[in-house]
Amino acid sequence: MNSIWAVHFNSGSCNGCDIEILATLTPRYDVERFGIKLQGSPRHADVLIVTGPVTRQARERLIRTYEQMPEPKFVISVGSCSISGGVFEGCYNCVGSVDAVIPVDVFIPGCPPRPEAIIDGIVQLLTELKGGKARTPQKQNIAEEIST
Amino acid sequence: MNTFTSLITLLIFPAGLSLVLVGMFYEWVDRKLVARFQNRVGPRWFQPFADALKLFAKEQIRPAIVNPYLFFGLPVAALAGALTAALYVPLMGLSPASSFPGDLIVTIYLLSLPTMCVGLAGWNTSGRFSLIGATRTLTQLFAYEAPFLLAMLGPALVAGSWQINTINRFTQDHWLILTQPVGFIVALIGLMGKLELPPFDAPEAETEIVAGALTEYSGRGLAMFKISRSVELIIGLSLVSSFYLGGLNGIPSFLFKSLALLLVMSVLQVLLTRLRIDQTVGLWWRFGAILVLAQLLVMILWKGLAL
Repeated sequence: MNSIWAVHFNSGSCNGCDIEILATLTPRYDVERFGIKLQGSPRHADVLIVTGPVTRQARERLIRTYEQMPEPKFVISVGSCSISGGVFEGCYNCVGSVDAVIPVDVFIPGCPPRPEAIIDGIVQLLTELKGGKARTPQKQNIAEEIST
Repeated sequence: MNTFTSLITLLIFPAGLSLVLVGMFYEWVDRKLVARFQNRVGPRWFQPFADALKLFAKEQIRPAIVNPYLFFGLPVAALAGALTAALYVPLMGLSPASSFPGDLIVTIYLLSLPTMCVGLAGWNTSGRFSLIGATRTLTQLFAYEAPFLLAMLGPALVAGSWQINTINRFTQDHWLILTQPVGFIVALIGLMGKLELPPFDAPEAETEIVAGALTEYSGRGLAMFKISRSVELIIGLSLVSSFYLGGLNGIPSFLFKSLALLLVMSVLQVLLTRLRIDQTVGLWWRFGAILVLAQLLVMILWKGLAL
C-alpha cells in the first residue's frame, strides 16, 4: 500500500494533537511524498486518525465514522489521551481510550506527539502491512452495540 | 482483421489503456508541479497508479437509499464518455482514430458527459454534501460550456471546417494563439473549469462540502470518476494545444506543447484562490462569453471583408 488516504476525527481532544496533525500536513513535513492525503469524506479514507479521549458524546459519532469507511480500514490513535484517557481518565463525561470503542492498529504516544512521531507511526503501519502482518479485519457488529 | 484493429484502437492504443496511463502520468506531473510551487517535495511518480489500484481493491459501499443501477452505471458512463471522446482527438500527435465532418461538436458533448455523470451521481446519492456539490457541478457546467465551445469555434471558423483533423492540419502552419489570444485564454480557463481545478473547484471544495458530489462514492466508482477526470485532462490539453499552439504533428510536439500548457495551468492553480460559485458564473458570462463573442464578430467581419 503506497497510497494512504486519511480522515481525521477529534473525539474530544484538547486540540493539541490536532494542531500537530495539521503541522504534519504542512509543506515543511509534506506527507504527500509518502502518498498520504487528508480526505474529507470517510468513504474515501483508508486510515482513521483519532485524537483525544473518547467522550460520551463522541462515542457514537466515532463508531459511525468508523463504520462508514470501506474495508480494508485502519485506525491510528494519536496522543496520550487517546491511548489511556490521559489526564481525562476517570472523568464523568469520558468513556476512556479509543481502543475501548473501536479496534486500533497503531498507537502514537506523546502530549502532543511531534509531527515526526506521527509520520513514524504511519510508516510503521505501512511496514507492518508490507510484511504481511496485517490485522485481519475484525468485523465486529459495533452498530448493534450502539442501540443497546 | 478490421475488427481486430478497431478493437486494438478502442481498448489499447490510442484510446483505452494507454490513454489512461498517459492521463495518470499527466496527473502526476500536475501534482508534482503544484507541490514544487508550494515548496514541497511532492508525490512519487507512481502515486496516481497506486491511488487507482488501491481504490479498485477497496470495498464499494452502496448507501441504502440510492438507485443501484444509477449508482453503479454512472462511473462507467463517465469513463466511457471520456474514452470515446479520445477517438476524435489527435492524441499524442497522431492522427485521430476516427474522424467525420462535425466531430468537434460530438467531442465537446462527450467531454461534458463525465461532468453530467458526476452531477447525476451527486443527486442520486442525496447526501446533503453530494446534493450541494451536484448543484454546483451542474451550475458550473452551464457557466463554462458556452464560452469554451465559442472559444473552440474560433479556430474552426478560420480553418473553415468542423472536423478536428482538418483544423489540426490547418493550424500546423498558423499559430492561432497570435491571432486569437482571447480565444486561447478563454479556452485554457474553460479547460480549468471543466476539470474543476482551483480556482474553479467550488463543486468539490473540501473545506466546505467534504468532497462534493462524490462524497458517498468509495472504491471502484470513485476510481472510475478519477480516471475519467485524468482522461479529460489529456483530451482537453490536446484539443487546446492542437487548436491554438500550432497543431500537433508527432509525439515530441504533443509532449512539449501539452506539458507547457500544463505548466501554465498549474501556475494558475497555485496563484489563484477559490471563487464562489456565483463569481465563477459571473466571470464566464460577463467576461468570457462576451470577449469571445466580440472576437468571433471581428473574425466574421474580417472574413466577409476579405472575400
